[in-house]
Order: sequence, then structure tokens, then C-alpha cells
Amino acid sequence: MTGQPKDDELEPAPAARSRGRTAARSSSVRRLVTWALLLAAAVCVPGLYWLDWISIETVRMMGRYLALAMVALSLDLLWGYTGMLCLCQSFFFSLGGYAMGMYLAHHGGPEGIIDKAGWKIPACLYVVYPYGVGELPEDALTPWFWKPFYFLSATVGLGMLIPGLVALVIGFFVFRSRVRGVFFAVLTQAITLAAWLVFCMNDMKLCGTNGLTRFDKIGGFPLNDDATQFTLYLITLACLVGVYLLSRMVVRSRLGRVLVAIRDNETRLRFAGYKPYAFKVFVFSLSAMIAGLAGMLYTPQMKIFTPTNMEVKESIEVVIWVAVGGRGTLGGPVAGALLVNLLKNKLTSQFALFGFLEGWLPDSVYAWLPVWKQEYWPFVLGGLFIVVVRALPGGLSSVWRRLISREEAERQ
Amino acid sequence: MEYRWKSLVFFALVWQGAFTLGKAQTADEGARDLITRIASSDKETRQRGLEAVGANREGRLLSFLEAFQLGQIYRFQDQVVWCPGLQTVDGKSMAPLSDPLTGVERQMDGARQVVAKSELEAVGPRRRERRLIMNLVRKLQLFASDDDVRLAAAVKMGSVRKTEVLADLELALKREADAKIQHVMQESRSLIQLGAPAAEVSDEIRLEAARNLGTLCSARGGALLKELLEKAAKAEPGTASVLSAIQLEVYQQSLDAIESYQLRVRWLGYVFSGLSLGSVLVLMALGLSVIFGQMGVINMAHGELMMVGAYTTYGMQWLSGHSLPDNPVNVYFIFAIPAAFFVAGCVGWLMEFLVVRHLYGRPLDTLLATWGIGLVLIQLARVIFGDNVGVNSPTWLVGNTEPMQDLNLPYNRLFILGLTTSCVLAVYWVMNYTRLGLLVRATVQNRETATSLGVNTRRTDGFTFALGAGLAGVAGCALTLIGGVTPDMGQNYIVDSFLVVVTGGVGELAGAVWAGLGLGVINKLLEPTFEAIWGKVLILAIVIIFIQWKPAGLFPPRGRLADV
Repeated sequence: MTGQPKDDELEPAPAARSRGRTAARSSSVRRLVTWALLLAAAVCVPGLYWLDWISIETVRMMGRYLALAMVALSLDLLWGYTGMLCLCQSFFFSLGGYAMGMYLAHHGGPEGIIDKAGWKIPACLYVVYPYGVGELPEDALTPWFWKPFYFLSATVGLGMLIPGLVALVIGFFVFRSRVRGVFFAVLTQAITLAAWLVFCMNDMKLCGTNGLTRFDKIGGFPLNDDATQFTLYLITLACLVGVYLLSRMVVRSRLGRVLVAIRDNETRLRFAGYKPYAFKVFVFSLSAMIAGLAGMLYTPQMKIFTPTNMEVKESIEVVIWVAVGGRGTLGGPVAGALLVNLLKNKLTSQFALFGFLEGWLPDSVYAWLPVWKQEYWPFVLGGLFIVVVRALPGGLSSVWRRLISREEAERQ
Repeated sequence: MEYRWKSLVFFALVWQGAFTLGKAQTADEGARDLITRIASSDKETRQRGLEAVGANREGRLLSFLEAFQLGQIYRFQDQVVWCPGLQTVDGKSMAPLSDPLTGVERQMDGARQVVAKSELEAVGPRRRERRLIMNLVRKLQLFASDDDVRLAAAVKMGSVRKTEVLADLELALKREADAKIQHVMQESRSLIQLGAPAAEVSDEIRLEAARNLGTLCSARGGALLKELLEKAAKAEPGTASVLSAIQLEVYQQSLDAIESYQLRVRWLGYVFSGLSLGSVLVLMALGLSVIFGQMGVINMAHGELMMVGAYTTYGMQWLSGHSLPDNPVNVYFIFAIPAAFFVAGCVGWLMEFLVVRHLYGRPLDTLLATWGIGLVLIQLARVIFGDNVGVNSPTWLVGNTEPMQDLNLPYNRLFILGLTTSCVLAVYWVMNYTRLGLLVRATVQNRETATSLGVNTRRTDGFTFALGAGLAGVAGCALTLIGGVTPDMGQNYIVDSFLVVVTGGVGELAGAVWAGLGLGVINKLLEPTFEAIWGKVLILAIVIIFIQWKPAGLFPPRGRLADV
């Protein structure tokens, strides 16, 4: 019997397939385009905002999507380069999100809710605090694990350290027993589910399903201020560029080659004298830290953080961003995350499909035209999964690459 | 000729009717006489009638007395009648009449007898008699002809614990034929005796009651004994709560006996609910592991195929018109199981044909594509059926059996256990003793060789996928017995059944069965100590630690086929 998934023959990543001389030739063009896109994100959105063409809400939304693009990058390191489909990404993202959320909750809400030890009780926690029998509201104490998150510096450090450490522990056990392929996907999915259940509990003193709310200030600056939000956008963009460069450094180094070797044939790599185990744990931790950072940047721009961000389906949505953009590339996941999220933003609202015809057609005819409804979005998302996997395994970047290589071939 | 034959039949009927009527009348005569006396206007007669009922424990008069209390008894043309409720016809208050003893509707000219309310003379209890009648009703419940009423009365007496009812309880116990009610009556009697103050019940009887409760292993007795012992430990010397040395000893002994029994029953209960959860998991993991074993594909839409099965069951119910809980059309469920298998199997075959077939050798991509399919199926169900539909369990699966005292096993859980067993056996048979199974095994062992020997592996794959999907459909059908039918119901079990597959190992039926039952039982054993959610987290930790020890599951593939 061999039902054992043959991870060794695991999809040779589409990006790797066409890698060769064409890829080398086209790389300069690609680099140019990537930088042009980044420049557009750095210049266009602020520029349009400057010109008052887009509202601060749009900037805030774009900032959030940039943070999500960071998560996509972190998954790409695992899936696209190392061949491990991780469904834990939303968990790591939420760990960062919760860290920042706790900091913001400390500094939000009405003043004067002080416990007996002199600590300020976060307003959102005070509301849902699980009072025991005979325990009075004034007996409520700020839980110990909330206290470090009073300070921004500690929060930023812990928000990356905690996901990194959690990933280290999980990776230690999971990779040690050589769990791979679909087994790894299933296990990480179970971990995400369990974590979500735990974070939903009121007893955890993390505000249960209500989530962390009542955010007012970050580092002393009011969160509702346009300038603060704009700065947050710029910080997110800078972080994304930083993470992009870091990822590029990783995948271009010898380490990155080992990762690709793990993806393509782990057994052979082991026979060649490498220990894939350590590399896997390292990249798993690194990707968890990136996801944590993304969560920290996401929270102040969302102004609320609930356990729904941790659900399994959020993890799987990250996968579709990467798949649409193109796994095994670095620009692809970023573009994929932005595209799919913009699409989701549009398609989860109700609008007339042929709105541009309004006024051109008689009203009685116009009323007959179909209307897009929010409930159709899962069809699109599910369809995206099927179509991308079935027809376009390399994602959009493979289409892009094909276009470029054809042009270059013509030129020569 | 025909006329004569008909008249003969008619005479026979009349003769027989008169005969049965006569017999019934003699048996009812005493009761009817009592009813007449209670409904009489003379105070003395009524009083004596009520006393006679109490003395004779006339259980048949229970419904009459209850109606009497409610003021539903009237006199109509020198007869006592029962009018359960008034109707308004043409602005006039009309009263349909029933027999006060049997509750049978009275007939008049071939229709139900209905008379104007003005023709009736109300007969109700006097203020002074109300209390007497209330006590009488309570007492007569012990002698009612309905088993449930007697049981409820006996249980209630044990909880209220009034010494006045002891004599009645004793008498009822003597007359009782039903073993279960007898048991409860004994328990209640001992409870009353044990809890009674020393002035009313002697020490010997109380000791005997405590011993009795110990023998009966009564849970309520355990609570009372515990309470008495706690009171005695705290009591000041000289007060009534103090117990003598012998009492302390006997009480403690009985308490220990009860507690050890109850503990045993509780653990048996946990194990049973664990097996029951496990059987659901096995049922789900069975299809999953058939597909996984064959193709190395994790089918993320498995939960949704289960949902398809559940909605098929709903459809069958709708077709059979079994939409009311007490509708006699109960057999629909028997047909729903194969229907769910077939429909889910077809959907699975279609999935394989359209998507999965093109993704062989890319297990992670298949996982994603099937997840997409699952998403579409969920939303499709939501758009078509809305958020929640009701499936009524067939009445023959409602209720539970009690093989041991205080150990309740619901029929639907037992049914699922049986269904899982038969599914496992069926899959085993198909895989090992049929030609199809042979082809499937050949394809799994070596696809190339099988192809070159003429096996149509594509068709075999399609069949395997359809079989796994069909099993998911059966699981969905079974789940309608224990939970609601919602579009995303598959999500609740899917992760657990994945864990079963991971723990059990790939391709071996035994792996899925042992892992499923094991995880189910461990889950239920952990639940009472930890909260449900922490239990889940713990299970996950156990699974992760388990695969440290056995990385390829309980039943790993062996030989040169095993992965390095």
C-alpha cells in the first residue's frame, strides 16, 4: 500500500520549471517592473491622497492590504520556496495582531479604570471580564500577560518574538517526526482551529469573541487622526519593502537554494548530507515572525481585532493570494494579495452589474438587469481556487513571465 | 338471500356488543357508583364517597377527580358527565360531553353529543373539600393505570419526602407489577424513611432504609446520605442531626457502595459517548482514508459531501411527507441512507471527473482545489436551502434504553454505532473480496503495472473517489440524527476526521477505525476533567506527540513501498 503522498514528486514549482536562460534574460525587465510597482504604491496612493482624490479611508484600506501582502510573502517563503503548505499563517498573524491590540487597548477607552495594584484595566477587557462567583468588578485585576504590552517597544518586540517562538516549538515537534506534504497542511490546520477556539474563550481574558476594541492612541498620537493613519500607511509600506528585501536575500542565498532543494526532493537532500530539519524550522519561524509583524501593522489600521482573523478559512485565503499571484516568486504573492483583496472589497458589496448603462436604458429595462450580491463572493473565491490550481498553477506571474520572454525573444 | 345473510351478521354483532357491554358495566359499576356519590349535592354522601375512594385507592377515578378539581364535571339529566371544554356555536355556549370515568366521547344519534351549557348543572368541589381532593389526586397517581403517571408520582414522592404517604407507597408497591416502577417505589420509600425525623420513624427502620438505598445503588440516596453525614459532622452534640456510631457506619457503607456504583456507571457512560463520537469520526474518516489511501489526496470537500448527504436525507423526508414529528411515515430514513450514498457518490464522481483527475501527483494543489469546491457547495446549499432546515429523526430512533440502572444509551447513537460497523464491514468486503476491490488494490500498489495489465486506472480512480464520497454522504445522513442540518455542518467534524486519518496512517482500514474510536474515547474521557476546548487542544497535543513516536500513523505502510 502506498498512499503516502509522494511529496518528493511534489509539484515542481511552476516557477522553477521555466527557470533557465529565458528567466535570466528577462530578470532585468522583471526587476524594473517590480520596482515600478513598488514606486507606484509609494507614490500613487500618497499622491492621490495629497491631491484629495482618494479619502483617508481608502489609504487605510490600502495600508491593510499591504499588511496582508506581507502575510502572503511569509506564506510564499514556506509554500512557494520550501514546499510546505502551512495553514497556520492566520494564527501567527493574529498573535501579532493581538499583541498590538493589547497595547492599543491599554491606551484606549475612558481613563480611570484602575485596579487595586494601580494598573489601568483595558476598557474592552473590563466590559467582558469573567467575574467569578462573589467577585466584584472592583476586584478585577489586569492579567499579568497584559502588562508587558503597556509599552510600545516591548509590544513590537513581543509581537514578533511570540509568533517566532510558537513556530519554533511547533516546528520542532512537527518537523522532527518528518511530517510533510498534506499531513503538514492538516496538522497546521488543526493547530489554527484549536488556537481559534482557545482565543474565543472568555476565560482567556482576551475579550473572547468580542475581540480587542476601544483603540484611541498609538505612541501618543490619536488613531483617528488622518496624519497618523497616513503615517501608518507609510510605515506599512516601508515594512513591506523591508520584508521583501529580506525575503529576496534569503531566497538568493545558499540557504534559499537549500529551501528549494527541500521542496524539490527532500529525501535526496538528506542523503546529500544536509539536515532539512533545521532549515525548515528556521524558515517556519522566520515566516511566523513576518506574519506577526503584519498583524501588528494591520491592527491599528483596522481599529479592532477579533478572533475571526484567526479562523482556518483566513489561512486558506492567504493561500489563494499566493496562488493567484504565483508561488515561488516574490512579487507575485504581493500582487496577488492586493488584487484578490481589492476584488473581495468590490464583490462583497451589492451593486448593479451594468451600472454604467443607467440613464442609457429605459428604467423599466434597467430594473431587469442583474444585480451583484454579497452572497456570490464565495462562488468567486471557490472558483478562483479551482481555476488557478487547474489552469494556471504558476499564477499571474507565470503569464507575466511568458509575455516578457516572448518579447525578449522577438527583440533578439 | 342477501338480506338474510346481512341480518344474520347484524344479530351476531348486536349479541356480541351487548355481551361485552354487560361485562364492562359490572366491572365499572363500583367506580360509577362512587362518581355518582361524589357528584351528589348531599354533603354527607360526597364526604363518604371521597373517603371510599381514598380507602379503596380507586386509581381509575384519577382522571375524574382531576376534572372535578377543574370544575369540568356537570350533571345532565340525572347523569354525571364530563365536559372538557366549551365551544361557542352561533353565539351560544355549547358543551360537548364525555364519559366521566373512561373519558370516551358520548355519542348521540351517531354524532358526538353536544348540549347547550344552560342544560348542565355544575358540580364542583366545595372550598373545604379542595384540599382533601388535592391530596387524594396525589395519592391516586400511585395507583393510576398509566405507567408514566405512576412512575412520575413515585419519583416525586421520593423528592418531596413526606411521611404521610408511606402507607400508600407500601400498598402501591404490593400491587405494582412493573419492575422499574417497583424499583423507584422502593427507592422513594427508603428515601422518605431515611430523611424522616427520629420521632416519626424508628432508628432500625432508618438503618434498614440506608442499607436498602445502598443495595439499590440509588443516586438520590447517595445525595441524601451525604447530606445527612455532613450535617452530623457539623452538628452540636444533643441536636437531632447527630448520628449514632452504628448509623454513621451504615450510612457511610451505603454511601460508598452507591458512589462506587455511580462512578462505574459514569465511566461507562463516558466510554459509550466516546465510542459514539468515535463512530461518527470513523464513518467520516472511512471515506477520507479510502480516497487518501488511493490517491494521496486530502479531500477538503469531504465535509461538504457529508452536507450533501444530510440534505439528501432532508429531501427524502420532504418526499415522504415526514415533516411532522409524530407522522407515521417513518421508513423514509431506511431509504435515505442509500439515497445519501448515491447522491454524494455522484457529486464525488463528478468532482473527480472535472477537477481532481487533472491534478494527480500534486496533492497540495488537489487539497486547494477541493477546498474551493467545498466553498462553492456550501454557498450553493445556503442559496438554495437557507441557513437551517429541520430533519426529524424517525420516531423509532427517539428515546433511549437503560441496560443498567442510571446508564442511558440513546437509540440514535446505538444506530450510528451499528451503521458504522456495517459500513466498515462493507468497505472491507468490497476492498478484499470483489473484483472492483482487486482493481483498486492493484492500482494503489503499482499504477504502471496495473495499467499495463489492462486495468482501466482512470475508471478505478473515479470509482474510488465516488465510494469515498458516498461514505461521506452516509455519514451526513447519520449526523442528521444528532445535530442540525446547516450548510457548513461539515466544517465541525472535518478537522477531527483529518486528525483521525493522520493518526491512523494511510490506506489501512484498521488504522482509521482504531484511531477514530481511540480519539473519540480519549476526547470524552478528557472532557469532564478539562473543558471541551482544552480537551480539544490536549487531543491535538496528544496527536502531535503520538506522531513523534509513530510518524506514519498506527498502521504504517511497510516494505519497499514505505516512504523513506
